[in-house]
Amino acid sequence: MAKTELDHVTKRYTERDGSEIVAVDDVSLTIEDGEFLVLVGPSGCGKSTTLRMVAGLETVTDGEIRLDGRVINDLPARDREIAMVFQSYALYPHMTVRENMAFGLEEATDLSDAEIADRVEGTAEMMDIDRLLDRTPSDLSGGQQQRVALGRAIVRDPAVFLLDEPLSNLDAKLRGQMRTELQRLQADLGTTTIYVTHDQTEAMTMGDRIAILDDGRLQQVGTPLECYHEPANLFVAGFVGEPPMNFFEVDLENGTLVGQQFEYPLSERTLADVRDHDRLVLGVRPEAVELVADAETPRDFRATVDVVEPMGNENTVYLAFDAGDVSETAGASADAETFVVTVSGMRRVEAGQQVVVRIPEDAIHLFDRETGEALHNRELETAEAAPPNF
Amino acid sequence: MSRETATSDSVADRETASDDRSDGRIDRRTLASVRRVGLYAALLGLVAFYLVPVETGLVTSFKTSEAVRTTLPFLPPGPGGATIEKWQFAFGALSNGMVNSMLFTVPSTLLCAILGSMAAYGLTLVDWRGQVAVLALFIAGIFIPYQAVIIPLTEFWSVWVELDERLAFLWALPLLEEHHATILELIVTHTAYGIPICTILFRAQYQTMSWEMIEAARLDGASLWRVYRRIVLPLSVPMFAVVFIFQFTQVWNEFLFSLTIIRSVSDPAASVTLILSGLGEALEGVDFPLRMAGAFVSALPTLIVYVLFSDQFAEGVRV
Repeated sequence: MAKTELDHVTKRYTERDGSEIVAVDDVSLTIEDGEFLVLVGPSGCGKSTTLRMVAGLETVTDGEIRLDGRVINDLPARDREIAMVFQSYALYPHMTVRENMAFGLEEATDLSDAEIADRVEGTAEMMDIDRLLDRTPSDLSGGQQQRVALGRAIVRDPAVFLLDEPLSNLDAKLRGQMRTELQRLQADLGTTTIYVTHDQTEAMTMGDRIAILDDGRLQQVGTPLECYHEPANLFVAGFVGEPPMNFFEVDLENGTLVGQQFEYPLSERTLADVRDHDRLVLGVRPEAVELVADAETPRDFRATVDVVEPMGNENTVYLAFDAGDVSETAGASADAETFVVTVSGMRRVEAGQQVVVRIPEDAIHLFDRETGEALHNRELETAEAAPPNF
Repeated sequence: MSRETATSDSVADRETASDDRSDGRIDRRTLASVRRVGLYAALLGLVAFYLVPVETGLVTSFKTSEAVRTTLPFLPPGPGGATIEKWQFAFGALSNGMVNSMLFTVPSTLLCAILGSMAAYGLTLVDWRGQVAVLALFIAGIFIPYQAVIIPLTEFWSVWVELDERLAFLWALPLLEEHHATILELIVTHTAYGIPICTILFRAQYQTMSWEMIEAARLDGASLWRVYRRIVLPLSVPMFAVVFIFQFTQVWNEFLFSLTIIRSVSDPAASVTLILSGLGEALEGVDFPLRMAGAFVSALPTLIVYVLFSDQFAEGVRV
């Protein structure tokens, strides 16, 4: 168990032609003792490289990695007391499950054979793989191999767990089960864990905190709900949440947001946040948009339903603003901005239907169009009510 | 355009089509059987082509000198023309050479396989600077022609190293004799010459190994050597069989190094190939049955190695 710190960590590769690639760019991050941190981002964002630097499988170009205050930059991987679960599981194919699990204990500790056997069996029982101990990896299903790979990491009782997309090779149902099981295991063991994934659902549901990386740079670190409701920038806002946040490019003119197909008046309170900026992006979560009976306020807009995806519990509705609302009608409908709204699954919505959408002002986000920086996030009275303190 | 005509048209079309098809089926069937006969004929021809020389050698080795003159080479000897005398003689003449050949073939094959596997591990599954340059040297080593090295090599052993004198204190020990110096020279020479190709063979397999698995072992606390010993080595057993068969055959059948390092058939260190080259040669003519028997005797160990490792070999080449 250990607090892990990344202090201005940078990783640069030199290509064959001499050019440099910055894979991880000045990332500073502290993972508290016992915390479950999810490192998330699109592929190629540097999240795996970051994890591999913590593991000692990649050298650190700049900055420091500390484990409980001790700099481990130059410590070989095998002396770091870190266990890692790989995407491919990386089991030793010529060994039985028992031997796979005992390997790390035999190599890294002075435990006697009896103690090793005890610990392997104890962990196998906890992971519910005790029946598989004498089989070889080729006799196991993907899900079983996954559990063995986890068991192999757990049995070593490491200071830090590193998990590199461990669930991505499982089918959807098993992935859902393993997600909860992993969380429970981590909570029971209390081991500091860094979990890498490109799947924002895994990030949202599993982590105590999530760290979002893009293009080697850290975008935001926070609890899942912070990142969801108070995104630091346009990238985080678009990355977290499924279906993703709706974005509209707007210009601020006399206290009103003027978009391609609508005008949206802002209150004084919101205006205060965006005073010096006039090229903005308006963002709104699909579930924050309401479908109402009639246009009553200036923040209600007429739209036509394009496609409905019924999910059972909710409907994902794709809408287009009605062309009639805009001045430049010709050609506007061709590249009409579509947006997504989620409504209750019980509500009947059909393609082609005319509806009125209400975009409540307390639910909007505003970003600077050039820098992507968040200028105004949604009102948090509702968001604070959402996570009760437990 | 009524619908009915369209339908009857298409029915007619279908009928002619099915007629064509049945005709075609007969044609195709005869064609297929003609092809099959041709195939088997060609296969039989090939079998004969490869087996007749072997069979000729085998029957010749059992013939008396008289029978060789009176019967066709590939026909068995008649009654009274058969003898195992030549086999007995060949065994007697070659036994010493077989022992010598075994003494340098087995160690150098083992050394080649072990060192080749280690070198391949270091060049493939360990990351360090300058790897490519070293690998290039190994690959160059495969292509150095024997002819280019035999003179420097004999100079090296006989003028510079002089193992028989340097190791003189050993020859007093039981089981060791002075000609073992020559055997030792052959072991070292064959090992050095065999390592490059063995390394490349192992490297081909190691490149397919999961890099994540090696990393997992490193994170599990295993040192570079332990990763090799406990992960890489057990997984390369099939490739060891391939390399063992290949290298054993190469070294056992090798002639040029024997000729230049041992020099003389009468040397106590003479290898089986060296003795075989002179076997059955006499002023009064070539003793064909003896040469054939000798050839079979000296080929025996390689056959045994093939049989012993054939299962592992099959697994190794499947990779």
